[in-house]
Amino acid sequence: MNERIKKLTDVTLSGEMYPRKIAVEYDREDLFLSPVTMSAKRVCEYILAQEPMLREECAMTGHLIFDGTVEGDIFGRKGHLAFQQAKKAFYKSPLHNLVTLEWQHSTANFEEVLKDGISGIRRRINASKQFHAEDGEAIEFLGALSDFCDALIGWAHKCSHKAYALAQSTGTQKYRQNLLLLSESLKKVPEHPAESFYEAVLTVYLCFSFVPDSIGLADRYLYSYYQKDIQNGTLTKDMAKEYLQELFLMLQSHTSKKSPNFYRGGESHFAIGGYLPNGEDGFNELSRLMVEALMDLPTYIPQISLRWTKKTPSEVFRFMMDCERKDPNKRIAFVNDEPKIKAFTEYLGMPYEDAVNYTMVGCNEVAFPGGIYMGSAQENIVRSLARTLHERGDDLLSCSTFDDFYRIYEKELFADLGEILDYEDKFNLLRARDVNIVSSIFFKGCVERGKSVTQGGATVACSGIDLIGIPNVIDSLAVIKQFVYDEQLLSMRELLEALRDNWEGHEDLLTLIQKKGNFFGNDNEPSNEVARRFTGSLYHYLNDKRSMFGHKYLVGNLIGYHEHHKWFGEKTPATPDGRRSGEPFKFGLGQSGGHDREGLSALLNSVAKCDPHHILNGPTVTNVTIDAQLVVNDEHFEKTVKLFETYLQNGGIHFQLTYVSKEDLLRAQEDPDSYKHLRVRVSGFSDYFVLLNQALQDDVIARTTQTR
Amino acid sequence: MKATIFDIERNSYVDGPGIRTTVFFKGCNLRCVWCHNPESQSPKPQMMFYKNKCTGCGKCKERCPNNLEKCGLCGKCTLYCPHDAREICGKEYTVDEVIREILKDKAFYDNSDGGVTFSGGECMLQIDFLEEILKECKKNGIHTAVDTAGYVQFEYFERILRFTDLFLYDIKCFDSEKHKQYTGVGNESILENLKRLLTTKKSVWIRIPIIPMVNDTEEELQKIKSFLEACQSPKKIELLPYHAMGEHKYEAIGKEVQMFAVPSEEKMMRLKKIFS
Repeated sequence: MNERIKKLTDVTLSGEMYPRKIAVEYDREDLFLSPVTMSAKRVCEYILAQEPMLREECAMTGHLIFDGTVEGDIFGRKGHLAFQQAKKAFYKSPLHNLVTLEWQHSTANFEEVLKDGISGIRRRINASKQFHAEDGEAIEFLGALSDFCDALIGWAHKCSHKAYALAQSTGTQKYRQNLLLLSESLKKVPEHPAESFYEAVLTVYLCFSFVPDSIGLADRYLYSYYQKDIQNGTLTKDMAKEYLQELFLMLQSHTSKKSPNFYRGGESHFAIGGYLPNGEDGFNELSRLMVEALMDLPTYIPQISLRWTKKTPSEVFRFMMDCERKDPNKRIAFVNDEPKIKAFTEYLGMPYEDAVNYTMVGCNEVAFPGGIYMGSAQENIVRSLARTLHERGDDLLSCSTFDDFYRIYEKELFADLGEILDYEDKFNLLRARDVNIVSSIFFKGCVERGKSVTQGGATVACSGIDLIGIPNVIDSLAVIKQFVYDEQLLSMRELLEALRDNWEGHEDLLTLIQKKGNFFGNDNEPSNEVARRFTGSLYHYLNDKRSMFGHKYLVGNLIGYHEHHKWFGEKTPATPDGRRSGEPFKFGLGQSGGHDREGLSALLNSVAKCDPHHILNGPTVTNVTIDAQLVVNDEHFEKTVKLFETYLQNGGIHFQLTYVSKEDLLRAQEDPDSYKHLRVRVSGFSDYFVLLNQALQDDVIARTTQTR
Repeated sequence: MKATIFDIERNSYVDGPGIRTTVFFKGCNLRCVWCHNPESQSPKPQMMFYKNKCTGCGKCKERCPNNLEKCGLCGKCTLYCPHDAREICGKEYTVDEVIREILKDKAFYDNSDGGVTFSGGECMLQIDFLEEILKECKKNGIHTAVDTAGYVQFEYFERILRFTDLFLYDIKCFDSEKHKQYTGVGNESILENLKRLLTTKKSVWIRIPIIPMVNDTEEELQKIKSFLEACQSPKKIELLPYHAMGEHKYEAIGKEVQMFAVPSEEKMMRLKKIFS
């Protein structure tokens, strides 16, 4: 890392690069305007009132933060009143012990901005105005977008002036050159198309603030600029690396140091590699440079996922695993294109050329360029099983086979899924009450439809649900099948009594189940079969369901920053997997919490085989905790690389690693000061262990540490 | 045909190349005093009782048909002990059952140049079964390794040579008297078998456990080195440091344990240099 980047890194990590928000005194007569016009007026005034964050070491600028007084970005949705209300009511407070509300995720259509510039978007807005000439609402919205485009360009020009002024006062020749280049470039981009790698990165840098979530597939949309400049000699690899590092530092600076999220990679996440529209693997020289650039930085945000394909060279996968094991901040995860692309093309029905453009965002959500991912709220998937067992006892007693039992359970499952989807629509309606001006120009469809992104403007949109407690459901079903029906070691009546008594007085039965149970994660056929049956049920129910915007649902299993597994668990009675009433659920797929005893290959086989329909195609996480020895020792590391490569070849959808022993984690709970640097993968994100809430800490501890 | 096996360990990194499944046969004709798998020595299934885990709750006694006075190895006590203080070591398997387990990880072997390792105990003591299972593995295109102390008639090696890709062959110490003192048997036939095995051009990895005060001197290892140099050289020589992780298992089967110091990393580095 050179001196310039080192200085910028220091001020980034000290929190100084977080843009200062300048409050604006709005004209109270604005209130007489229509909501859309008022929003546009105020948001433009806000943008133009901000001061560019610029230091003499900077070669880029334009980063800004919305303060909540105006409608801001689509991720945090600051200033969006309806969303903020919904968040307050439902984000941390599950409804009916079943549903919650989550953020939305997205990535801008950066490729288009680079190619056409904001002026190109403005031309499209004008064309759309003609098309919607009769539609007053659309005309008003499109007018707001035009105003926003003007403000955005005005902001770039303001940044340009400031860079020029600073260039005059700096004493360092190199810095002066950088600032003059910056000033010149901002007269051109983002208004006009980018022509060099530097201009392209600067465009992304400046526009990120309006859709501040993921930079998307940057190793694709920046690649042609990189290649061209390297070939014509105007760019060196080192320069490219510097620009990328400055971009990454801005992503880190987008979160205030006062927030615990400053240390959480999930605040900004992007993917590299993956299939290209021509069917080839897309990991290129720039992908590698991006990883190297990030690994040089001691930051937390962004995090990267490698999109693995069957064509990913083994050397590339090894390189990523090597970076992963050496990264103290745990910023690398792995996702498998094979099941993902299959799900997007076959289940969602997307054309292949679009499906291959997905990126990973947030903790582990999915987004497409210029597309939005709504929902992904955490839902209680154990409730229907608990209802079956605790409320349908009489019906269960007359079941003579597991199939009879499953039919009753499946009805309850479908009823809960139906309720979940109803609430998802209600949440989407709440989202749609706000109009979004600053993000809409970066989404596909909003300009042409004359509609805001959450009001049905975005043509590329997905909705998702995260089902919390999948391991509990699979294990419980496996226990019922094995003990009550296959091996007949106990009757349904005995099981129901034990559950009703919360296992009290039935400790022997509990011990027997814990020891003899065919639990998930051991690659035994009975539990694998139950897992497939359960995911099959999800598929059959959801396959013909659509959200109010006409989207099919992507399904995941991750937890956000909060404690849904604890909240849901607290209100859910005992379950046959040995869970007592009130105990937290498990989430993720590799987290069998001590039930997996056969080693890593068995666990990974169970995970890879559990979902033949690819219904777990959304934010699906597989957290694997392994003994550090499996990667520290070079010979073992090479085998671990092959182990996970085989898992991906077998169809495993995702994995991320934590290397730590249970004992260390317990010690860290007791003595947080001594373990304040210990980082773990939590859900789809990494964090300092001691900063996690108790329920998340307990979940990480409960995972099995695989020693082989 | 059945074999008594006390563990099938998947995803093993330490018993040969690549990712492997290691099948541990029960029964051994050596009694190495440092053995870290003392439960592997008896050829029969046996009850293991971990006293330190037992809370005296009495669940085992409640379930035992013989009131814990005599063990018929029915296993009921192990199922109801809430603290994992009891387990039965050793179970009979058919060739089919073992192959089914082995095949589960075939994809991992194929991608890592790994395979299956038959170990023990002394797997060669159940030679009929071993021969069958090795054949089955080869039919399924799986790389095979046999981990042996070599204290069997050479005819056994001849029976499995065709189906074995690699031998992991232990040399405990060079001097036969000392060998007898620490393992119960002299090593003449072991070294003779190794010499003959090496002439077959089969891949052989030599494994030498490093036991302080027994064989951890440069002099001892030099002797082994000279012996190996006089034969067809083996592919690889691994020095395995003594570890005390088997200690609790001695107590669990009611045997006296003899403890050794764990060799330091520096010492291991120094000794490894002899062979580099």
